[in-house]
Amino acid sequence: MLIITRRPGEKIMVGDDVVVEVIEVSGSSVRIGIAAPKSIPVYREEIWAAVQAENRAAAASDVDQLPDDVPAPTKKS
Amino acid sequence: MAVTLQSSRFGELQIPAEAVLDFPNGLIGLGGRRFALLARSEESAFVWLHSMDDPELAIPVTNPWRFFESYELELSDDEAERIGVTSPEDALVYVTVRSAAALEDFCANLRAPILVVGNQGHQIINQAPEAPVRAPLFAGLQEEPSTKAA
Repeated sequence: MLIITRRPGEKIMVGDDVVVEVIEVSGSSVRIGIAAPKSIPVYREEIWAAVQAENRAAAASDVDQLPDDVPAPTKKS
Repeated sequence: MAVTLQSSRFGELQIPAEAVLDFPNGLIGLGGRRFALLARSEESAFVWLHSMDDPELAIPVTNPWRFFESYELELSDDEAERIGVTSPEDALVYVTVRSAAALEDFCANLRAPILVVGNQGHQIINQAPEAPVRAPLFAGLQEEPSTKAA
């Protein structure tokens, strides 16, 4: 991992197309701006990791476990 | 015209070429690019989102409103622009399902639904406030019918 110290207003280039900017430091939080091409999604890492874990668990699903007839969930009329 | 899908679960299947979905960014953390939706029958609650290129990669998905009547879906402006929808109504919405030996342990990921727009698919992050990554599908099964739906 490349570790860089930045001050507010300073930026980091990731490749030619992604710009990471330190906007503000306040207490123990850092406000970070990310400019990337529209085609590149940007996620908070913990959300990305949780979704990856869930995707992996779902991908391990067994054909035999999926019921053909699903009990109808209780519905409001 | 049909294309062949090799599946470790289902063997060799023929898929209409127009049914192949392109996921420009794959599934979050899992990758993949071309997928197809496979349903056992029209009434099936669960549909398999199956990779066209990896025979082992397949995920059960379902229509979230089938299980969660009040499911809310909000996209950030950036994400809406990235996938090319002006509102969620422009897309077909699916959520991934983690199956288990017991129905009560089945969970859907309401936080990262999959939106199908035309022949493109995108797994996006739902910005709505209450959208757990693991939402039980059958939590209400053991309860009285008068209790509210999950």
